[in-house]
Amino acid sequence: MYGRKATELVKEFASSEPGQLSTFNNDVFAQVLEECNGHLLHLEPLMMNIQENENKLRDKRSEEEMGMSEDERGNSEAEKMLIQSAIKSDQFGALIHHLSLLRNKRCLMAYVYNRAEVIRNLGWMVDSVLPEEIEEKLSGTEKEYFKKHANTLQSYMAEVDLHLTVDMVPPKDPYIKVRVLDDIGEVVLSDQVANLARHAIMFLRRTDAEQYITQGQMEELTS
Amino acid sequence: MDSGGGEGYAVDDYESLMSTTDVELLKTAWRNEKAAPEILKFDSNLVQRSRQLIQFMEETVDEFNKNGVDPLTVSLYQMDLDRTMFLLRSYLRTRLQKIEKYVFHIRKTAELWNRLSLKEQQFAEGCAIDLKDHLEQSVLSKLPEQYQSHLRQSAASEDDDMVPEPQLDAYVVCRSKRYLGAFQLDDGGEEPVNIEADDLYALPYKSIKPLVESGQIDLV
Amino acid sequence: MACASEPHGSAFSAAELEFLAEDEMIEIVPNLSMKALNFISGDFGPFRPQIATQVPLWLAVALKKRGKCTIRAPEWMSVDKLAQVLEAERDSEKFQPLPFHYVEISRLLFDHARDDIPDIYMVRSLIEDIKDVRFHKIGTGLEIISKERTYALRLKNLSAMEANIVRPFVTSALETFYKLSSSEMIQESNHVPNRQPQATNRGPRRQLKDR
Repeated sequence: MYGRKATELVKEFASSEPGQLSTFNNDVFAQVLEECNGHLLHLEPLMMNIQENENKLRDKRSEEEMGMSEDERGNSEAEKMLIQSAIKSDQFGALIHHLSLLRNKRCLMAYVYNRAEVIRNLGWMVDSVLPEEIEEKLSGTEKEYFKKHANTLQSYMAEVDLHLTVDMVPPKDPYIKVRVLDDIGEVVLSDQVANLARHAIMFLRRTDAEQYITQGQMEELTS
Repeated sequence: MDSGGGEGYAVDDYESLMSTTDVELLKTAWRNEKAAPEILKFDSNLVQRSRQLIQFMEETVDEFNKNGVDPLTVSLYQMDLDRTMFLLRSYLRTRLQKIEKYVFHIRKTAELWNRLSLKEQQFAEGCAIDLKDHLEQSVLSKLPEQYQSHLRQSAASEDDDMVPEPQLDAYVVCRSKRYLGAFQLDDGGEEPVNIEADDLYALPYKSIKPLVESGQIDLV
Repeated sequence: MACASEPHGSAFSAAELEFLAEDEMIEIVPNLSMKALNFISGDFGPFRPQIATQVPLWLAVALKKRGKCTIRAPEWMSVDKLAQVLEAERDSEKFQPLPFHYVEISRLLFDHARDDIPDIYMVRSLIEDIKDVRFHKIGTGLEIISKERTYALRLKNLSAMEANIVRPFVTSALETFYKLSSSEMIQESNHVPNRQPQATNRGPRRQLKDR
């Protein structure tokens, strides 16, 4: 059934988590391309046939204009009708192949286009180096695209002299209020030396406190 | 800020325009850009002024640090600075992401191309080349000759039918600064509606496009 | 997320709404002396002990966290006023006037200025109820101001958070009505079912030529 493979590609993208990529489906992709070539192999002889028949038609008409008997004219009309019907059926056949080709093209483009968008969004988040788990899901061309796009973005940022991949979320107060849960003792933080005693309530830089919070040694206080 | 339309403003409008800070203008520009489906006009004056303000404030904070101004004051100034930086960065970033997404359409539509800053245009050129190359290498070069265009489905297409465009009839939530009586929602000859000032409305972007451009309607 | 705003998504994240809300002005009572702050976003202060002054919410919260002030709960955040609003919300299909950022403002104050809000548990519970009633009204309380070809809705008195919720819902519902009633629909053939905006396929281009 024409187009089924192509639908697989589109479905694959549509069913993946937004922002996530599945491994580039080289197999199905190649199969769709092959199908396209198959369509071309059918299209070309059909188009040639149509052209030949149209030429025949034209010749018949010229003949008619040069004068014919009643009988000859009758025959010519019958032959013309046969040729016209052959042309029509070839045109329908060609149309099917053409439309199938178009559909395959659109699906292939959609697959690549949509993946490209995810890849670009990654470029905003990871600067210029892709984490391995993501890299192995990309095709060779996609890896190249990522690099090129990262470059284009870097060029713009250099031109306007502004780092645009930072500050992705609105800024918050850099300081937070915390309660110390364990007796940690004296530590040197980015802006102060603090004595982290159990039960103490302190005002620390968020970045300093994060590691203690994730380890359960501190908790953030809201009011 | 360019106002576009040549209508005279009422006296209190003029005053409110004069007392609107650059940060508020930047905030409005940011909101409009985030909510609009297509890219809006680059406000180069505003961006330039904002950058100057930011730079001045960065120098001020540096001075404070050198002169041992109390940490509380310094951190408060820093927070104000961070907030403005975020607005500026997000404004530019939102625009770049729209350019990336609709690059072919923007390049061939003069009205949109002219809304980009010079540097954004350079960026757009780069994006277009990157994407075209990628499509050609992945797909198009492997298709039959008549089907190799990245803009058209095939050589038989009458126009560029493979170029993604933003949906201008997407609905936006908006607020008008002024009362708009007998407002025509589209040119299909339907009944006009009244838009009250300061109320929220959900309308297709297409219907209010020129008003957003002239600053009379804000997107939310 | 670094996503560009999609026509079918919320344009603003919750963090961004909060960011916008943080510019709302609120009254504080400082307990310190401090020179005026000449910010990019405006001039605030000078600050004198026990002298109330107006500052943006983000500044109020920052000072409060550092123990430098108390915050005066806004007028609308009293049990009496909120109870009135709740009753009115329940009695009417329409939305009652509330500060545009009432959700974000109240959340910030609950998180950082609990001791400055009288009857905070009651206030909190009232606001939750109000949010709830309004949320359930969204389907019915919006005024359709046009429904010939172009659908349009008036969202009178909706807050920022509610508008953000409504936007994608309204967008897809109205777009469906819009498309169904549009005469262009008849000419549109295959629409590739795809998340991303695609050029509409305008159908086969080949002309079947008769000779």
